[in-house]
Amino acid sequence: MQRPPYSNIPPAHSPPLHHPVPQHVSTVPQLRSPPPPQGTPQSQGYGGYGGQQPQQHGGGYMNPAFGGFMNDSTAQMGFQVGKSAVMAGQEYMEQNFNRYINVSALKHYFNVSNSYVVHKLFLVLFPWRHRPWSRKQAFNPNGAQDSPSVFLPPRDDINSPDMYIPVMAFVTYILLSTLLAGLRGAFHPELLGLTATTAFGVVIFEILGLKLGCYILSISNESQLLDLVAYSGYKFVGIIVTLVVAEIVNGGKGTGGWVGWGVFLYCYFADAFFLLRSLRYVLLPESRPDQSSAPTQTVARAQRSRRTWFLAGYSYVVQLALMWILSRQEGATKVAQKAAG
Amino acid sequence: MFFGLGGLIYVSVLLLNAVAILSEDRFLARIGWGGTASQDPGFGGQQDTTSVKARVINLISAVRTVTRIPLIAANTLIIAYLLVLG
Repeated sequence: MQRPPYSNIPPAHSPPLHHPVPQHVSTVPQLRSPPPPQGTPQSQGYGGYGGQQPQQHGGGYMNPAFGGFMNDSTAQMGFQVGKSAVMAGQEYMEQNFNRYINVSALKHYFNVSNSYVVHKLFLVLFPWRHRPWSRKQAFNPNGAQDSPSVFLPPRDDINSPDMYIPVMAFVTYILLSTLLAGLRGAFHPELLGLTATTAFGVVIFEILGLKLGCYILSISNESQLLDLVAYSGYKFVGIIVTLVVAEIVNGGKGTGGWVGWGVFLYCYFADAFFLLRSLRYVLLPESRPDQSSAPTQTVARAQRSRRTWFLAGYSYVVQLALMWILSRQEGATKVAQKAAG
Repeated sequence: MFFGLGGLIYVSVLLLNAVAILSEDRFLARIGWGGTASQDPGFGGQQDTTSVKARVINLISAVRTVTRIPLIAANTLIIAYLLVLG
């Protein structure tokens, strides 16, 4: 008989033939050897589709080797040592990872809800009617040691910048741009990496320019770096809208024409206004009554006007250049010329 | 406009080189951007660090000091790379 000596008791409705019955027909799981621990991935690999029945079946076939292995006490001890080593390694990796990337701060930025995402997308594309632009703060009741007030997460505050929309818009922009290139017949696999690098470079260049401007004008930036990255990622939403509308209307001839330029200019103005209103609280510090007001009063009027010019220049001029760079595409005619020449 | 990563690296290294070779006493002092050398030793007051010009001078000298050594290495690497791969 092919069955191993300690397999299951055959079910009541045994077939008349003598060939072995597949074990999954029987309904009562009968444990013969102790089942492998559920948490380890190897046992899941054995099971395949969960449940103890197939595990028992798989264990039943390899029982002479596997069951004997697990029943041995020294083997179990070795298994415990291995498990604790893996957990120690994971903890060590987590500690080192937390030193480089602030995971808890990142979690704050991804704490979004569905209604927040919808409202924020609408706000990015239509910011003119929105009234209060300041971020809400929740005062820390434990005392004023490290931070007297903490900004609310995006889930509770529509004005708070998040990283979910920028990251999603970034990836969508890369995929959409490559898809449109493929529809035009201009696709090559390096285009994905090229678009990603260009968009990444634009974001980094913009953040560097912003940081440089803040340093030169001695604007003390209280908000974090990720806030600025989030704000610079919101323009991808407008670029995506421009690309889609231009593709539908123009039918593959790039983003030129009246409709293409019209949508581009609208998205550009919407994004510039959105940035102007949002960054006003970041770049132009207003005098707060609770902090010492002497340093803020010595900020000269020339400096304040310079900062206002900087904010306006950043919102309008820089965004125009960057959005134009990002929404450039090669037209179908140019591709044909390249292919022929 | 698709520069790619190599183009961006070249551009950034070239710009850093341009900032790093501005000589402090031969060039910047001539045009009045002397920075720390032109401040009166017996000042007795707070140095002017908040004007735009002072911060730009400070930034240039800081960039020069920090990137002097790594730029040597980066330039050597790029020269070797361009010599080998044309």
